[in-house]
Amino acid sequence: MMTIEVTRPERTTTAGRWYLERAGLDALVAALREDGRTVIGPTVADGAVVLAEIHSSAEMPHAVGDVQGPGRYRLTKRDDARVFGYVVGPTSWKRWVFPPDVELSTGRRTGHRVEFAPTASHPTKLAFVGVRACELAAFGVQDRVLDAGPFRDADYAARRESAFVVAVQCTTAELTCFCTSMGTGPEVEHGFDIALTELDEGFLLDVGSPAGQELVDGKLASALRPATPVEVYTAAADVAATRARIGDPLPTAGLHDRLLAQLDNPRWAQVAERCITCGNCTLACPTCFCTSVIQKTDMEGIAATNERAWDSCFSPGFARVAGGSFRSRPRDRYRQWLTHKFGTWWDQFGTTGCVGCGRCITWCPVGIDVREELMAIAPPVALSPEPIRVEPVAASFNDFVVAQVVATRQETADTVTLTLAGADPAFSKGNLGQFAMVAIPGFPPLPISISRFTVDGIELTIRGAGPATKAMTALKVGDQLGLRGPLGNNWPIERAVGRDLVIVSGGIGLAPLRPVIHALAADRRRFGDVRLYYGARTPADILYREEMERWASRGGIEVHLTVDRAGPEWEGRVGVVTQLFDQATWEGANAIAFVCGPERMMQATANTLAGRGVTPTRIFVTLERHMECGIGLCGHCQMGKYFVCRDGPVFSLLQLGDTFGREGI
Amino acid sequence: MAAMAHPTEHGHGGHAHSNEHGHAARGGTPRPRVAVVKFASCDGCQLTILDLEDLLLELSEHFEIVDFPEASSARSNGPYDVLFVEGSVSTPDHLRRIGELRKQARVLVTIGACATSGGIQALRNWADHDAYRAAVYPTPEFVESLARATPIAEHVPVDFELRGCPISPDQLVELLTALVTGRRPQLRDEAVCMECKRRGVVCVMSAQGIACLGQVTQTGCGAICPRMGRGCYGCFGPREQANAAGLARYLQASGERSAEEVGQLFAGFTAYSEPFRSTITDLGGTRGARRTGGAGHVAGGAYPPPGGAATGRASYLPGRPRMEGIDDDGR
Amino acid sequence: MTAAESGTREKIYEVDELTRVEGEGSLVLHVRKGKVLEARLRIFEAPRYFEQIVVERTPDEVIDIVARICGICPVAYQMSAVHAFEDLFGVKVDPEVRALRRLLYCGEWIESHALHIYLLHLPDFLGYDSAIALAHDDRPAVERGLRMKKIGNRILEILGGRPIHPVSVRVGGFSRAPRRADLEPLRAPLAAALEDAKETVKLVAGLTAPEFEREPRMVALHHPKEYPYNHGHIQSTDGVDLRPSDWDRAFREVQVEGSMALHARTKDGATYLLGPASRITLDAEQLHPIARELLAETGMADAIRTNIYWSVLARAIELTHAIAEAIDIVDGYRPPIESRVAWTPKSGVAAWSTEAPRGLLFHRYEIDGRGRVSAAQIVPPTSQNQGAIEDDLRRFAPRIIDLPDDEATLRLEQLIRSYDPCISCATHFLDVRILRD
Repeated sequence: MMTIEVTRPERTTTAGRWYLERAGLDALVAALREDGRTVIGPTVADGAVVLAEIHSSAEMPHAVGDVQGPGRYRLTKRDDARVFGYVVGPTSWKRWVFPPDVELSTGRRTGHRVEFAPTASHPTKLAFVGVRACELAAFGVQDRVLDAGPFRDADYAARRESAFVVAVQCTTAELTCFCTSMGTGPEVEHGFDIALTELDEGFLLDVGSPAGQELVDGKLASALRPATPVEVYTAAADVAATRARIGDPLPTAGLHDRLLAQLDNPRWAQVAERCITCGNCTLACPTCFCTSVIQKTDMEGIAATNERAWDSCFSPGFARVAGGSFRSRPRDRYRQWLTHKFGTWWDQFGTTGCVGCGRCITWCPVGIDVREELMAIAPPVALSPEPIRVEPVAASFNDFVVAQVVATRQETADTVTLTLAGADPAFSKGNLGQFAMVAIPGFPPLPISISRFTVDGIELTIRGAGPATKAMTALKVGDQLGLRGPLGNNWPIERAVGRDLVIVSGGIGLAPLRPVIHALAADRRRFGDVRLYYGARTPADILYREEMERWASRGGIEVHLTVDRAGPEWEGRVGVVTQLFDQATWEGANAIAFVCGPERMMQATANTLAGRGVTPTRIFVTLERHMECGIGLCGHCQMGKYFVCRDGPVFSLLQLGDTFGREGI
Repeated sequence: MAAMAHPTEHGHGGHAHSNEHGHAARGGTPRPRVAVVKFASCDGCQLTILDLEDLLLELSEHFEIVDFPEASSARSNGPYDVLFVEGSVSTPDHLRRIGELRKQARVLVTIGACATSGGIQALRNWADHDAYRAAVYPTPEFVESLARATPIAEHVPVDFELRGCPISPDQLVELLTALVTGRRPQLRDEAVCMECKRRGVVCVMSAQGIACLGQVTQTGCGAICPRMGRGCYGCFGPREQANAAGLARYLQASGERSAEEVGQLFAGFTAYSEPFRSTITDLGGTRGARRTGGAGHVAGGAYPPPGGAATGRASYLPGRPRMEGIDDDGR
Repeated sequence: MTAAESGTREKIYEVDELTRVEGEGSLVLHVRKGKVLEARLRIFEAPRYFEQIVVERTPDEVIDIVARICGICPVAYQMSAVHAFEDLFGVKVDPEVRALRRLLYCGEWIESHALHIYLLHLPDFLGYDSAIALAHDDRPAVERGLRMKKIGNRILEILGGRPIHPVSVRVGGFSRAPRRADLEPLRAPLAAALEDAKETVKLVAGLTAPEFEREPRMVALHHPKEYPYNHGHIQSTDGVDLRPSDWDRAFREVQVEGSMALHARTKDGATYLLGPASRITLDAEQLHPIARELLAETGMADAIRTNIYWSVLARAIELTHAIAEAIDIVDGYRPPIESRVAWTPKSGVAAWSTEAPRGLLFHRYEIDGRGRVSAAQIVPPTSQNQGAIEDDLRRFAPRIIDLPDDEATLRLEQLIRSYDPCISCATHFLDVRILRD
């Protein structure tokens, strides 16, 4: 079921296979160091085998074994002198290819001017000694997530590319190992430069790449001799014994569908009684990739530094937006993690998120075993969805392009429309409903919907609610800010051609729909009846009021307004937006609907629309989530099988299925 | 003062804030007026201000320190733009003063475990205070002390809090920078474990069987206890939705620890913060309190409001720190 | 301060809230016709019941808890406690652990003394409200103080995780001992700090102090081979000589009316002085050669003994000592074979004294059969010094009653600051011995 293919070629031939004395390991480390590489390998520290920079093989474990179980790890003394006589420890190679803390960029704000400068990454050349099969699989998963598109983390790609990989076949296994179930091991098959299988006195050495071959022919040549048939057979037998020892602890057939069918299983609440939501599992996991960016500023408020750090879907702020967290309960977070790792990861990346290394089991401080939870929640059935294949493009968190405020318009007491010029030319190709990441140095960048496309720029309509949005709404003509985008997908206006269009919107939610109205007003004949239903808190909070009058008078658009609260001067409707059309006469069969507003309002609207006969395939909503990268790399907006930033923000109800409106997704 | 961060939007109604002092923060205009006061405490948190050796003189360029008795003979009775409060409310005099001070402060910041959680002295809250005092002190009439040592937020609204025993210099700098530049301080509310993992610290609980409160404790210290080879003792207090009961159950089930021993683990510097407080009580109260005749649980009831409308509001109870309230940018 | 005049020659000086001391206190001096009726240093500190809080706790928990008595000298509290327990339990620590504990104490002394000299005391001598005000005119001096303070804190951070309430001190050693490489970053700043300390000695030796001669009874630890931190005998200028565990054979605590603190007296009721001046007087021979030489150059050993204002110089000499010794320890460090030796608790009395930056700190714990504390007594230096402070105030007052109020106040506050009173430490008043009576 894996994308990391497990082929089993005949591995008992001695041709091109070598024997390296145990003492020769030092020659290998030395050769890699001479090549200008930082060599990372196993060492013993603080009661565990941890990965760290090594300078010679003397720093590696000798005669050290381990015992692992749920929430438990202990080192043991081995009777032999083996260097790799244990399984994976607390560290994963992720630490070097995707470091826990990285400075991404700096920004400056001097007067009107803003500047953004990506921090150059100069990773040293790496070499990894002792990579296990499950960890090679983890590289494969990370490559797919971070380096295979549609967006690419260039820093990851550079680090990964630089690494010389010395893999090691597992000749021992622990209770926590389940690579066999995930199809990722224990046999090392490909993805390495050199592979070692440890024998009593030395190693069987296999070459896996031209770089490996070069080392074998060159610096390592004097330490090698051809392997004997006995050595080759012993090595194969040891690895086979490891496979037998592990067995198949997690039957995975059909896990994806079975798991996603169990979103309401009572076990989620039960496991949440035990789970501390500490996040250890996600940070110990070799494939978890979620991050957050922290802005640091100086006291003058001029210079800012953006630092990216590992984060976790178990952290309280991870899915937080104005008004609360989408996953406020521990059970939501545990469900998110498990359903993503074993389920929706497939939909997003065409691969599993789990490689069966067992770290999340050993390093769960309260000993929760994912295999046990999975088997309790979702006993397997057979099915495997199609992988997604898209071409990668280079993009990063950092490439903010400076734009200048050329006009501002106070829409309401707290809402301002900024007209920006000099933005990235990419915006001129932007589409209706897309958004931009907007940054002022010192404040966290925020996703803001584009409310108009102009000849040489865009407009953003922003409600000043927190410090960052207040800083944006306070900008004056001539001030600068940073834009990244356009990002996300668009309203499918081509599907509205020849149909009636119903636009339902609440509050600031009119902003992403404004370009739609502009577009259809420009080409009005192609559409049927167009109705705009808009709700605001008070009459003073109605956005684009003058424009709205033009839409109604000249644009051929029916405009219906309502407010939550009004004074005596208001002669229009008072009440929620759905009340505007639940008594209307039009038929929904030929209609398509675009809806944007608070999530609860959108649910109510969707229900009303469905009641009027609009099919779920033609009801489109735009979702709000916590976003930092905007390109599906930071993980914050992950929702079921989608990244809202990359796959959305516009979704049809059909796409969302029963995840729409469900608490804690 | 235009550039200064506002406290959380839902603010503290009913308080007279004096904004006439210190408008605008930089460039020759008056600097925010800062004061530091203490209640029952060890002085370690205010010492952390003086421990910002590299920044101390720069700080004095951005803030006007008008009242900081530990560091300066110059005094002021307010009003203050920023008031740092160290220590817990432990005497009748404290009760009177905190209400007065709140009226003088535009932004009130509690610093450290005593101010945010009651501190180590709040362990007396499980004991019978009168018996305690009468039995040990020959002339108890000199001893002015309340039955419970309580966090500041139990009495007046608090705008920001810095956790820790003592507070972290990095978090202090972040808060000061945010105050002066008008943005929201970015203080993580995640578990200490996250910091351990980012720093590559081997988990002392999994690898050595040491009881560690890192999972339920708010980060900020830099994971120093696990880094130093021991378990976290919770001095930054419970993090958001800390599953203390779950951890307590596991510690009893897995480590041959009695309920009493597990209770003692939580009975530290932030014992009085929920959910540590009820976990201790559920596990039988503190050993020391039982010995001196305490009831083993915390007496209920809040103090009468010291003339402030906001006192006793549920939203200001410990365990509901204002800092964790999210802002409208969703960050 | 107010100086209310009632009648011609009656004055009551009140300093409502002493500043630039750690904690909160006030001073009342009542003078009539040139005679001092009353001199009282009051403590405002709220009771925190430490001696009760440690009851039923294990020795390692006690080490964490007692640190919180004082944020300025937490190491002192940890050291007196850990040595008390190890003395009772018969724990023999690795010699490198002993050296690391001295290094830890060096860090606290450097931090505390640099803080006191530059941020709390020097502004007095030079006529400023605070070090920040002083920095306007002499930024290099304040920066020098901050540099030294920083290296002190850095030592504490490396050995204990953080400067205030470090976490690594355990019965039997340390929860984790540093590697040699961990201490490496200390070398260069320590070398620079030594020069700063020498400069400090020059600076403070050149200050002008009021004339105020007296000969208090002085008490400090004395060790034949080293300047006293954790080991030595309790000695006095009048012949006391006791093990560090036996403080209560010569001294006792008395409760003073109107004060929240207990004061200590000798058994015959006399007051005595602790701290840098006493240590310099009793232990000058054991100073690091660099510090000893500097002291000799100033020629002011006798002034330190007889005039408390010169405690600022004693502190500067000790600052030099602590930096010089820290350099030696870092240079000679080898990680201990066992950073923490195993131990088993024993019932009995665990007692010990060590030298906090402001003087002798005595701890006494009764340990029950399960290895938990059943009673505790903690006698901090400030409560021991309080009697001597009030004696000095009484003696000093006649000299200032003719000065203008502002100046008189300043002189009084300055005198009190000379003792570096750590008032938050002095607020223990739960004497568990009384509890059992």
